[in-house]
Amino acid sequence: MNQLSNNHDIVACHLCDAVFDKPQLKQGQSAKCHRCGSTLVERKVDSINRSFYWSIAGIVLLIPAILLPIMGVTLAKQYHNASLLDCILVLIDRGFFMIATLVFLFAIAVPIVRLFGAFYIAISFKYQRLSSSMLTFFRAYHHLGHWAMLNVFMLGIIVSMYKLIDDTELSVNLGLLSLILWLICTTMASITLDQDYIWETLEQEFTHEDS
Amino acid sequence: MKTAKELGLGLCPKCHKVNTMHTEPMQCVRCHGWFYQRNRNSLQYTLAWNIAALLAFIPANLYPIMIIYSLGIGDESTILSGIGQFIDQGLYPIAVIIFTASIIVPLIKIIGLFVLVYKVHTGVRLKPTKHSKIYYMLEFLGPWSMLDVFVVALLVAVVELGFVTSVAAGPAINYFTMTVIFTMIAANSFDPRLLWDKKLKQQNRHAESKGI
Repeated sequence: MNQLSNNHDIVACHLCDAVFDKPQLKQGQSAKCHRCGSTLVERKVDSINRSFYWSIAGIVLLIPAILLPIMGVTLAKQYHNASLLDCILVLIDRGFFMIATLVFLFAIAVPIVRLFGAFYIAISFKYQRLSSSMLTFFRAYHHLGHWAMLNVFMLGIIVSMYKLIDDTELSVNLGLLSLILWLICTTMASITLDQDYIWETLEQEFTHEDS
Repeated sequence: MKTAKELGLGLCPKCHKVNTMHTEPMQCVRCHGWFYQRNRNSLQYTLAWNIAALLAFIPANLYPIMIIYSLGIGDESTILSGIGQFIDQGLYPIAVIIFTASIIVPLIKIIGLFVLVYKVHTGVRLKPTKHSKIYYMLEFLGPWSMLDVFVVALLVAVVELGFVTSVAAGPAINYFTMTVIFTMIAANSFDPRLLWDKKLKQQNRHAESKGI
């Protein structure tokens, strides 16, 4: 079919495969699928700038969030506290390699990679420095989305605080505050990134190079 | 309403670009990633990962997940007995959270995916709108079952007061993380579009038989 040769003006739902004409959206609007109700296309408000500033804030908070102690325990006049990094070191020290790897990957590595990824994408869009490697990069960035579990880790902190508060003297340190702020920044940096806009710009940039 | 498959089109799962399918697998013209029109062998993969998750869930509940040492004496607790301790102490909200995250959510995910695979395969009482919502929920719930693993990891790291008290992780934690990761991979390899395909096929067959 000749009208479908380039497929510029149609979109398909990723959950049910229904085909629609591409809606013309303003910033802040989103289009929903008629058949299954999932979001088809979304235009986010001021996406690049917002993502840029959130990711800068996230990078600033990165060091305190990982290195400052999250909470401490006092029992029988002994005090011990642990930061996110200590947590992993202790786990390795005592031979629980699998949990150490998991906590490192899901609560530190993936959020950091996604944060720097969002920063890199935002900065190259802001200053118009697009290269073809961005295609692979952004694809990989999306792959990681499932595996960022910092929010689950935060619920884990709350639950373990409840668990400790009965038997021991629990103290909360600055690390918890910076970890919460860091969680907000990483989440916001990836939420505000408008993937439809980024793909379309990359596509335009790329077809120009070809012709 | 037409689906992309009927028009010979395929949607790139990464960048959501509609491509004309010339070959299978197809390289996306926009993001240059390779993809199939439908996830390849989706049902087999989902079923296989799901069975693996179910098998790993058995030792995860039988073995102790956490061992609390106080003054050198170890106290082992499994997932269920840990929840029991919370109830004994009267910490009901936490007991509910842990119970939901580590027993109900994995079980719902495993059973739900089995049901979805069965529905797509046989087409019995298939309601795509309802079932794709269920799938969406299962995918969203995935990572939250990691909660128990993180709690144990934190307790091991924080409560480390030498001889007085220390916490160690039990063997069940490895099986439990395996369960969670396997269900996440199973949910990822399931393709919700198969639900709609099956329904469409049924409707066409129905219309044909009526026409004759």
